[in-house]
Amino acid sequence: MNLTNGFAFTCPFKTNSGNKALEHLPVELAGLNAFKPLIITSRELAGPKAIGTLINAFGDSGMTIGVFDDVTETADLNVVEQIREIFLKGQYDVIIALGGGIIVDVAKILNLAVSLKVADARQLSPATAIRDPLGPFVVIPTAAATGMETSKYAVLSGKIFTSVHLMPGLVVLDPRLTRAKDGKTVAEAGFAAFGRTLEAYIAPDKNPFMDAYAFTALRFIRENLASAVNKRCNKKESLAVANAVAMSGCVISNTDQNMLHRLGQVFQNTVHVHPGIIIGMCLHPFLDDCMKKDSSRIASLLLPLAGDDKYAAMPEAGRAGDALRDLCEFSYEIYRSLKGKIPRTITEAGIQQYLMKDIFDIINQEPDGAYLRTVIDRVGGSSIKA
Amino acid sequence: MREIHAGGKPLKKAYVAIFLWFTGRAIQAAAKVDKEVQKEFAALPDDFTFALGCLPNGPWMVVGKEKGKVKYFGGNLKCRPVHLRLVIKSLDAAFLILSFQESTALATTRNRLMTDGEVPYALSVIRILDIVEVYLLPKLIASLAVKRYPSWWSFSRKLAGRVGVYTRTLLGF
Repeated sequence: MNLTNGFAFTCPFKTNSGNKALEHLPVELAGLNAFKPLIITSRELAGPKAIGTLINAFGDSGMTIGVFDDVTETADLNVVEQIREIFLKGQYDVIIALGGGIIVDVAKILNLAVSLKVADARQLSPATAIRDPLGPFVVIPTAAATGMETSKYAVLSGKIFTSVHLMPGLVVLDPRLTRAKDGKTVAEAGFAAFGRTLEAYIAPDKNPFMDAYAFTALRFIRENLASAVNKRCNKKESLAVANAVAMSGCVISNTDQNMLHRLGQVFQNTVHVHPGIIIGMCLHPFLDDCMKKDSSRIASLLLPLAGDDKYAAMPEAGRAGDALRDLCEFSYEIYRSLKGKIPRTITEAGIQQYLMKDIFDIINQEPDGAYLRTVIDRVGGSSIKA
Repeated sequence: MREIHAGGKPLKKAYVAIFLWFTGRAIQAAAKVDKEVQKEFAALPDDFTFALGCLPNGPWMVVGKEKGKVKYFGGNLKCRPVHLRLVIKSLDAAFLILSFQESTALATTRNRLMTDGEVPYALSVIRILDIVEVYLLPKLIASLAVKRYPSWWSFSRKLAGRVGVYTRTLLGF
């Protein structure tokens, strides 16, 4: 880390995490000068239990709460326009997104529409200038979070909106909401966050803040993901993974080293495969290449992955190899626990040949497209191509 | 799309209100019975008043000094000027603290408590509350409520104090 080069780091959101964190919402909203919230969620994606828990947390606050729980996987700008009209008609003053993925993307674009006071949300495009901070926006991730909820990105109908102002002002992580129905959901979110933070952690241009965030997220995931996958009822582990996933959104918003992330996004946007699956399978070929380029960066991974004692006991020359071994053990443990529920190769993911062609067309347009193709080939992409 | 008016939590609110009412009267009693509590109050300014309660709509407990005597003023925040407010962020957090699932120190670290006023005064009040809880509760429960249970207190101090505090609290003098 060369501090004389100068650096910037932005994390505009406050995190409230822990037991009964949701119950602090009325006070936190009052701090944002907001008293009439509109909850954006989905009965199918977030679940009625999570919605009930959130509404119950407002008990005794005297607030009137609007609940829009009809967001679907196929939501687009028409849905945003529909909610915008409800928001204005009901005179709501804060948006609360409950859930992950598309729910938060819809809420981000809605916040953009109501804050910019556009006449029609369908007019919004990635070219829309976002110069000033937007209205108060709260994100409450559930187990279905992808990590992008806390990031500066919002993807809707293939359009990618980017601005630090899209990031939430408050993130609430409550263990009642972060426990997943199945281990696969936790593993996907964990792998996505792990890949994103790992790439930022070994980046040559990382700054001290990024280092702190990425280190903490990596250690949280390494120490807790396997237990969270195996024992889904365990509050502590699932909350630790949820915290790491939230941190990964902040990390990805502050780095340009995001090859694995971009690869995951291409597959998600094209074939609707969770980015965590793709990031998980591409981790090893990517790290092998990094090792060949500069093994000292991989060596630094041993500290968050294996812990202080193991790092101190290992001579410098052996740290890179040990870090890779530890990573292999970690991912093997997750895959073994899930017994084939998460594909390890592109072939196992069952992506059709004609869709792979579309994916390669998009990847070829990326600045490092040739390299990304080699990574895909090594995880089974070549067999489909043939 | 639906609009919901947040419901109440009457049972938790009733528990917290009764606890604060009893504790308020116990502080008034302890100020007459225990020398340490007397010393803490003596160090506070004349007419000093503090309130302990939870957001957004209470209940509250208001205790203060009037003509050199410590008095419990009930649950109305507007009854007199309050110099210090110890605020619990939500009714659920108040229930956690007052049902001894979390100690005051633990609740502070978990971001459940806010202080509106001078910190040294708040620390005095916390010390007074700890002493009162030791008098009111059996050792097993009091150990959960306070940071460190005063095992160095003599048996006679505990016994005489408990009798005095309970009698005065129940009779209200």
